[in-house]
Amino acid sequence: MQSQKTVAYPSAPNQNQTVLPRQVAFAAAFLLPIGKFLEAPSLLARYAKGDLLLPALIRFFIEALVLTAVLFAATRSEKTLSERINATLGKWSALVYALFAIYYLFAVLLPILDLEKFAYAAFFDTAPTIFYFAVFFLFSAFFAAKGIKTVGRVADLCLFLFLLPFLALIVMSFTDTDFSHLLPFFGTKFSGTVQSIRVTSPHFSDVALLLPLIANCRFTQPKKQKNAPNTDNIKGGKPILLGYAVGALLTLLFFAVFYAVFSSLAPREHYAFSKIAQYFPALEVIGRVDLLLVYLLTVVLFFYTCLPIHYATGCIAKVFCIQRRTWISALINVALFLFALFCNRLYNTFYLVIANRLAPVFWLIADLLPLFLLCLPKQNNFTPRPPTSDNARTTRRSTKKAKKEPQNA
Amino acid sequence: MSDNTACAIVYADGVVNKQLLGDLIARPLSRLSLPKTQKSGGTGDKNADKISKTNAKTTDKSDKENSSQANSSEKEFLEKALLFPELKTADDFTKAEKEILDGNSLLLVDGVAQGFIVGAKLLPNRAVMEPPTDVTVKGPREGFIEDVKTNMSLVRKRLKTPALRFETVRVGKRSDTAVTLCYLDGIVDENVKNSVKKQLDGMQIDNVPDSSYIAAMLSPRKHSIFRTVGTTEKPDVFTAKLCEGRVGLIVDGSPIALTMPYILTEDLQSSEDYFISPFAATSFRFLRCIALFIAILLPGFYVAAQLYKIQLLPLGLTLTIASSVRDLPLSPSLEMFVVLLLLEILKEASIRMPKYVGMSLSVVGALVLGETAVSAGFLSTPAIIIVAFSGICLYTVPNFVETGSLLRWLFLLVAGSLGTLGIVIFAAFILIYLVSADAFGAPMLAPFSPLVTHDLRDTVVKYDMFSLTDRPRLFHVKNKTRFRPPNADAK
Repeated sequence: MQSQKTVAYPSAPNQNQTVLPRQVAFAAAFLLPIGKFLEAPSLLARYAKGDLLLPALIRFFIEALVLTAVLFAATRSEKTLSERINATLGKWSALVYALFAIYYLFAVLLPILDLEKFAYAAFFDTAPTIFYFAVFFLFSAFFAAKGIKTVGRVADLCLFLFLLPFLALIVMSFTDTDFSHLLPFFGTKFSGTVQSIRVTSPHFSDVALLLPLIANCRFTQPKKQKNAPNTDNIKGGKPILLGYAVGALLTLLFFAVFYAVFSSLAPREHYAFSKIAQYFPALEVIGRVDLLLVYLLTVVLFFYTCLPIHYATGCIAKVFCIQRRTWISALINVALFLFALFCNRLYNTFYLVIANRLAPVFWLIADLLPLFLLCLPKQNNFTPRPPTSDNARTTRRSTKKAKKEPQNA
Repeated sequence: MSDNTACAIVYADGVVNKQLLGDLIARPLSRLSLPKTQKSGGTGDKNADKISKTNAKTTDKSDKENSSQANSSEKEFLEKALLFPELKTADDFTKAEKEILDGNSLLLVDGVAQGFIVGAKLLPNRAVMEPPTDVTVKGPREGFIEDVKTNMSLVRKRLKTPALRFETVRVGKRSDTAVTLCYLDGIVDENVKNSVKKQLDGMQIDNVPDSSYIAAMLSPRKHSIFRTVGTTEKPDVFTAKLCEGRVGLIVDGSPIALTMPYILTEDLQSSEDYFISPFAATSFRFLRCIALFIAILLPGFYVAAQLYKIQLLPLGLTLTIASSVRDLPLSPSLEMFVVLLLLEILKEASIRMPKYVGMSLSVVGALVLGETAVSAGFLSTPAIIIVAFSGICLYTVPNFVETGSLLRWLFLLVAGSLGTLGIVIFAAFILIYLVSADAFGAPMLAPFSPLVTHDLRDTVVKYDMFSLTDRPRLFHVKNKTRFRPPNADAK
């Protein structure tokens, strides 16, 4: 028996372009918030206390402004951002990719340490060894070896994986909420707010995580091109901004409920989303069913943590012009595993250095650098070029011929 | 013949309807005589010689023209005189040989330079009956059988449109199996149809005993534990899928028809869902969905909870389990492994075992083994309950049993070694695998990922039929409208 060659199917819905604006919007709404549910609530509560919504709101506002600028840059051309960067910078675009690769590898360090601690707390009654967590890197290597299209589809999936357990957890936690803990507004000194903005910088650098998706998104349909493959992407960047707003609202709701449940104890309550519903009365009878919802959200958390690794793999592949990402992904994950193996005891030191002292790095790369995209020229000459009247006729003729063929057969 | 012209019928004994041959071929022939002017004369042997020499060159041009004119008139005469519904001509022995082996008969008439293929097959077939793998309470009960012609007629019976196309391809170097490609012209995605046909044409295989061979050959992911080709034994399901723009394959010798593209949510659908109220159908689908998750994950979670996260269980249940597993010689994961192994062995044995032994097997399996193992302190009652429940749940989605069973083992393995963390990571791993998998142009997790909101109406939630006026958008069908609701014109 001989094996058959796989045949390409040009009609697949998502093959004409890699990522759809809707998928970016879903990533902003349902994938990115989960990164703020682990350590960010307790950090915000520690410095901003009952005003924890204020620094979050400020950060969201800044990110939304940067995102608007990026979307403006991305939507005013027929080419994708990625194509325009390559065309404008030529060989030097490798430098940009290298810089972002380093940034993503740097940005994933804290989430990995957080995830490791969270995994031990939420999944085990006993204290397991690091090797239990090592499996995560296998998954991460598998995910990072996939193309950017997979990230887009994962974002679609997160609509169901995130929204249902999140809402269920919020509903379950409502029995113990007292929103008066959030009062009075502006009851904390502004220095506390500033400090909380500073330490939560790694958690709120959302634009950097959306950038590779936006960069592979074609927003504007090429002019005069008939039979354009997809019309879903002509709406521009509005859905993405809307998605980001939804994600921000869900996050703020979570922070509010978290502080309303734990109040002054909030700074000590790490891994917030695994604890928020633990006082639901029925759990005493039926067991910690809320943990099942937490586990569902953890799947989204895994996707979120893998995002920078995925992006770093993609950037390195572009820098070295490598088609197969498998080995790059494997090497990055081995390195990250070694980091987790040797540095998990230095968690506090890393937190102090990365979240406090190196916070400007996040502002610089995630918030300032994307603004330079506004300087990119439009480059509206879309390739392949739209068919002229002559070759359009030829195309039509060949299409008719192709339609006739099976009937003849 | 009545004018003493010699005739011969060549056939493979056992696969021919001799009565039909006698009534519609032999008897009319005995009363017929070839027109004398057109009869070229000769013995019966000459006839065979003529067939074999069709490619031989004749030197005399006028003889050749006369001979061909005479032959065509004799052929026409016989075709008109015999009135047999399935009569073809055969010009060479290779074709004739194939037809004879396929169950047809070859009629040779002295003086006629061509043979006639008489379609009087009588292959042993079973009757059309309800398929055992797809039983419904409401709705059609007919099922496909092993004969491709009967299956085609079952499809044709339901789709009386000229747009229904059958294209038969012979596959199998030795078996020469008829594989019929079915689609609705004007609806089907040409890309899928052409690529399936291309793959069928290029298929090099010795023998096709069942459609699963074709499915395996067509599968874009050869080593996947997930199916990439849909299967059904019911013509009503098959035709419904054709109407959605899919391509179907009927393989001679197999009662299981194939449909492409296939998406995972198809397994949650049952033909009965379309014949009952949409609310009931939705609730059944939710039930199947939950049952599927329970079937795959419950044994793993039970083991993980015992070993790594006891908080998952309520206190009362924890105490009950603690008392029942206290004196067990096996660890929780090993115990679950043994019980699951027992279930799989019993299942396998009950399928293969003769019916009469089946009853005693149930008694031995369920009562003696289960009861004795618990009372002997070898296994615990909760483990048996969990495996039994998981086993029952898996059969709510019959098409997913094989994959589900494998996944259950894998989840048990990761749960035993890594706890709930392993389960979650493995689930994430499977999701990424499925999300990135496409089969025949359709993503396997669609319409959830990539999200096709229109097609969500017939997934876990089943909308009423008036909300399903359009065909699924996932398959890029040419004609998008399935039907118009009664009040559409008024609007």
